[in-house]
Amino acid sequence: MKKKVYLVFFIVVALFLASSTLLPKKGIIDFSLETKEKTFIAGTKIELKFRTKLEARPQLFLIHSYGKTLLEGNLNKNKITFLLPGIYAKKTGKVDWFLVINGDKKLQGNFEILPNNQTKTQIENHIGPPSTLVGDGHFVMYVAVPTDGFDNPKLTNTPVIYKSQFLNSFTNETIITKDLIAWKDFYAPTKSGIILVSSECNSTITKEYDAVIYPGIATNFTVWYTRNHEFADGNQITTLKTSAIRDKFGNIVSDGTMVSFMITTQNKMVLKSFGTTIEGVATAKILHPDHQDVFLIKAFVTGIAESSIVAINYKPINPKIEYKFSKNNRIITVGLLRSFMNQLVPDGIKVKLKIYHNNKLVETLQDDSYKGKAIFVISPDYYKEKSYSFEISTLGNKQIIEVKKYDTYKQ
Amino acid sequence: MKETTNKYLIVALLFGLTFHGSAIFFTLENSYDALIHLFFGNHYANSWFEPWNYSWYTGFSVMSYPPLVHQSIGLLSFIGGLKFGMFTVAILGIILFITGVYKFSLLITGNKTVAGYAALVAVFSSSFIETLHIFGQLPSIIGISVLLHAMPEIYLFIKTGKKQHFFTSISLMAVTVCSHHVTPLFGMVFFVSPLIGMVIMDKAREEVGSFKEIRFNLFFKTFISLLKRILLFGGSTIFLLLFCIFPYWVNSKANPITQVPIPHGSRDNFFEVTSSGLMFFVIPWGILLFILPYIFYRYFTKRYIFFGLSLTLLTILGTGGTTPIPLKILGANAYNILTLDRFTLWASIMSLPMFGEFVYRIAEGDLKTTLLDRFGTVYYRIISGLFAGCFLLFAIFTITISYFRPLQPQKINILPIVNFLNQDQHDHWRFLPLGFGDQIAFLTTQTKAMTVDGNYHSARRLPELTSRAVERLENAKYRGLEGIGSLQQFLTVPEKYNLKYVFSNDKFYDPILYFCGWHRLSQLDNGIMVWEKLNVQPLSKILPKEEVPTYLKLMWGIIPMLSVIIAFILNIQITWLQALKRKPLEKPDFKKNEILYQNFSWRLLKMLHIWSTIIIFFVGIAVYRIYIKNATQINPENVVKAYYDALDFKLYAKAHAYMVPNKDYTLSQFILEILVSDGVLNSYARLNGIETKIVYQTENNAKIIATTKWITPLELIEKNYLHQVQKINGKWFIVPKKKDTDIPPDEFMSDNINSYFTQGRRKISTQQTYQEDVLRQPDLEIISARLVKCNNQYVVVGELQNIDNVPADVVLKANLYDKDNALLASFNAKYEIKHKLMPKEITVFKVNFEDISWLKTNDVKPTTFNPNEFTTKILTKAPANFDIQSAGNVATTDLYNAVSIADLEISKTQIKGTLFNSGIQEVTIPQLLISYYNSKKELVFVDHLFIKEGVRIQRKQYFSYKLLNFSELSVIKPFAINCLVNGLKSEELARVIIPARNFQQEEAQLQKIEGHLDYSYIKIEVNNFIGNPR
Repeated sequence: MKKKVYLVFFIVVALFLASSTLLPKKGIIDFSLETKEKTFIAGTKIELKFRTKLEARPQLFLIHSYGKTLLEGNLNKNKITFLLPGIYAKKTGKVDWFLVINGDKKLQGNFEILPNNQTKTQIENHIGPPSTLVGDGHFVMYVAVPTDGFDNPKLTNTPVIYKSQFLNSFTNETIITKDLIAWKDFYAPTKSGIILVSSECNSTITKEYDAVIYPGIATNFTVWYTRNHEFADGNQITTLKTSAIRDKFGNIVSDGTMVSFMITTQNKMVLKSFGTTIEGVATAKILHPDHQDVFLIKAFVTGIAESSIVAINYKPINPKIEYKFSKNNRIITVGLLRSFMNQLVPDGIKVKLKIYHNNKLVETLQDDSYKGKAIFVISPDYYKEKSYSFEISTLGNKQIIEVKKYDTYKQ
Repeated sequence: MKETTNKYLIVALLFGLTFHGSAIFFTLENSYDALIHLFFGNHYANSWFEPWNYSWYTGFSVMSYPPLVHQSIGLLSFIGGLKFGMFTVAILGIILFITGVYKFSLLITGNKTVAGYAALVAVFSSSFIETLHIFGQLPSIIGISVLLHAMPEIYLFIKTGKKQHFFTSISLMAVTVCSHHVTPLFGMVFFVSPLIGMVIMDKAREEVGSFKEIRFNLFFKTFISLLKRILLFGGSTIFLLLFCIFPYWVNSKANPITQVPIPHGSRDNFFEVTSSGLMFFVIPWGILLFILPYIFYRYFTKRYIFFGLSLTLLTILGTGGTTPIPLKILGANAYNILTLDRFTLWASIMSLPMFGEFVYRIAEGDLKTTLLDRFGTVYYRIISGLFAGCFLLFAIFTITISYFRPLQPQKINILPIVNFLNQDQHDHWRFLPLGFGDQIAFLTTQTKAMTVDGNYHSARRLPELTSRAVERLENAKYRGLEGIGSLQQFLTVPEKYNLKYVFSNDKFYDPILYFCGWHRLSQLDNGIMVWEKLNVQPLSKILPKEEVPTYLKLMWGIIPMLSVIIAFILNIQITWLQALKRKPLEKPDFKKNEILYQNFSWRLLKMLHIWSTIIIFFVGIAVYRIYIKNATQINPENVVKAYYDALDFKLYAKAHAYMVPNKDYTLSQFILEILVSDGVLNSYARLNGIETKIVYQTENNAKIIATTKWITPLELIEKNYLHQVQKINGKWFIVPKKKDTDIPPDEFMSDNINSYFTQGRRKISTQQTYQEDVLRQPDLEIISARLVKCNNQYVVVGELQNIDNVPADVVLKANLYDKDNALLASFNAKYEIKHKLMPKEITVFKVNFEDISWLKTNDVKPTTFNPNEFTTKILTKAPANFDIQSAGNVATTDLYNAVSIADLEISKTQIKGTLFNSGIQEVTIPQLLISYYNSKKELVFVDHLFIKEGVRIQRKQYFSYKLLNFSELSVIKPFAINCLVNGLKSEELARVIIPARNFQQEEAQLQKIEGHLDYSYIKIEVNNFIGNPR
């Protein structure tokens, strides 16, 4: 029984001792804060004064937005003064302080440093993205951060005047800051161009900032063509042009927009030519075919817009192929090749000669015309058979030549 | 007896200093190695104790080369700059070499006059000239010279056992070790061992009357009696070799040379590769070749027998790959690391005393008497005059060889490059010079900027470099497949190395740069073209390095210079002090062995005559063969080969001379016809080989097929040409071919084009670009992407469109993941993509997953050249997923699109077609991107074709393309898990700009193709490289 009493007694004593150490010591108040202000202005002299009864020299532990630091005070009789370092005093924000002696906290509190409205206002600006598309909810955001002379953002609800220009329209609007910044979304107009913006706060003005409003994506367009003549001479150039390509708001699309021209031939071959727009018009060039053909032209801004189909008809220039055999049939001269006015064809017309032996293709030779002629040599070194037949093709025409006899002599 | 100064030595020094001292200013900077030593010197001048150098190879340790010479250059550079340091060290090397040869010869012959003659001939010795003026091997020269100085001291120590000589010899050995590690290592074997043998001989001789009486027993007994000294010296030297450059050994253990051997001319078969034979055998031996029998005869007398054996061994090792013996003696490892020319150098240096002796004997000794007696004055004068004349001519030939056959690209004024790198933070990225030769070393000393390349191949660390026999990327084109292969990997994935700038001194590399997505920036004042790659991150501020313990750094920084100071005090200071005390110098022990030159052996003289005749005979054969090889018009095949050779070197007048003479076919017409046809073959190809076959030949006519192989930066091109040749007046000529007769329609034309410019920073400021000047990255859309397995390789193919309003430069990277989303491989799109896109332009792309080529040593290296080939990354697991990261940046150049497809003809196996250039720029290399689509019009594969000839303005170019046959083509994954554009999701980004994409439009533009199982449609796009933009 007695044991129990002792145990309880000890526990009670132990609890009492423990609680007395855990509870804040209601020691004698050695220090008291003399400074009454809870707010200071950035850039001014910021001092905390304490009254003390002790001889000891306490330190002031600061938690500032620049970091934590420990200040030494200036003791004068029973008053101790702590001066905030200049760099700390210029920065706005909440400051927590703790008065400590040898690591023991004696007193704590906080104060706030506010922007200095006496200094010249500065404005920091950001605009982004630097470019966007017309309409459709595209926008650029313009942010202005008015600050005091020490680069401290002004207090919430500071009014900033936003100005903008686009073509003939000017706006002027007052935006108040919130959470340190003022911002505004400038929604893209339906016309392309450049939006200029600037801001003003406390009679400080900024330079102009710009955002480029690019035209939107292309809409369908048409294609037309010009050419020197309508003949398939394999030499002249037909120029393909689009109408001025516009976006859905009527803006001419950005210069350089790629337009690919698809040309479908009668053999269902897909040829291509490419052009990039200047003032909305893309130009591409195609070579005239060297045989009769109808080109179906369709142009694309691929995945985005397309044109209607235009057909270009190329007339044949040469209905008949002339040819001549000489030197024991060893030399075949094709030509004169004549063009639409009975003139010689331009140099460089492809002439193909297919050589057959017993109706089996032996070889295909090709020559480019020069002065209206193409010359093929059936060299005895290569062509040793006694007979060959031929097929000449040029400018989309064919000419079949029946069997010719050959000697098998050596040159 | 008062020592008199040797007048021959004085003359040798005077000659040596004037001759070499003035010549080095014209030769040393063009030599192979001198600038590398300069670079190292620069390193020590900037950070004496820190061995890590960032400039080359993404960083390497200078502890990989003994530092003494470099540190001396570094120290001297504080007086008059780096080059002053280098030249001063070279002049010191000349003095040391001449005096060293003098001392060594004195030791061997014991005769001051002979030694003086040896010093004199050493000045003009072709091996020394070659080592200094052509190879620029300063440490090697200093090393061997100091070793020669050490030889008498070693002799004296072992013979007399005096402490003084022990310390002098050891101190000199320490200097040798610190200047060149290979010299003392092999010097011990080839110089010191025979020297010890000679000491024992001399010692033994003192016991008996003459060398002839020395028998093995006596020799062995003497050896035992001297063993303590020999062991003491040998042990100390080995200790020095380990201790003085201890950090070097630590470093080579940490970074063993595991690289693929770099081919070196000294390992060639000198009969097969005659140029190597000239450089590494004929030139270093030079005139000595004529008196080899004399040298061997003298060294195989009893006293010198060990030198004789050593000389024989050195001579054989110096023959490189000509005989299999060097490989067997050295073993494969040492054989592939060592350059064997140094053995010939040592052999020729070892021969110098005997050469001096020979010259002495022919000039004023018994040989002169014998010759005069036997043949009379005239013969003697002619023979000795010829001998002296040849000797001097050979010296002149050697020193001027780089004038006749430049070993390096022309000297580049590097100042504009340095200024470019220093300007505007360009040195925040790595750079790569191309076609600079060894001047790359000097360039890197002048700038903070770093390069991925370098000039000291033993220090390479990137596996991309060490896995192949490519010394430098800079001269990749001379290394065939491996060279271009290496370069291509650096250019395709430059962001891995923070490589942003390429300085190209060689137009050859232009196409590979363009097709890897680089673009030209500007041409510098010195004609160097700067190429740039967009979207490469700058180097981080802190770069990794290998740390070494401080004690190693201290050893490295202190010991070499300390060894010089100690050696100086011990060797020179003591001599001076003694001289001041006016005590007569003791006559060195070896002078006792001076022999009298009497009665030149008649048999030896006969032998020399026979030998000289043989040599002259061989020279004659060599000259005749060169003549026949160069007799270009002697037969039909020669003339065709000579024609292509001349074309390869752009010697048009010479090539034209091989054409059948024709009044109407003038040289100017010929050159005009060649120059108008631009293209990869005409402008960017090196002829790699030509084989000719006579199809048909009569007395005066022949037809020849020339099979030519051309190396181009993009691929190997094999092309057959049929030539008709004609014999006129006993000479064969080529009949000119008909040229393209196509006439463009317009003489004069105008064109409106879009051109672009970006300001960069609008304000002139070195600060980072202002926020308002930062351009928005162009938006791209990845329209489709598929992971395809094709012929056992995984590739990612897809289509991409620039959906922005400004031109874009596209970088595209694909990553492969296994089913657990672990990264398997990643690589960039290389050739199969258009890197520059106009607004709304579409390109297809293909990413191959390349590995670092031939990483495994057992990989079979292809023997034929094909830069197109790559090593496919071997994936450990099957890929299940992939993603694509792409970035657009505003592009302003290389946007030419005026080449159209003017005609097509499709058969089952191939496509024939015509390109037509309707714009106003000449397209040098047109590239076709051919994409394959399946029956559902889904992209399944992309291929490319470089067309060999360019497309001139308003002209046609025909092409033919062989359609692919796939043995296996399956889509593994039809979409990517993520397609990122500038860090944003492609699909989300694109729908903001193009709310509803019309897929039919693209499908409508495909070309139907019949008869193939794996594909039903194709699309052809053209990518145009313009070599000379106007």
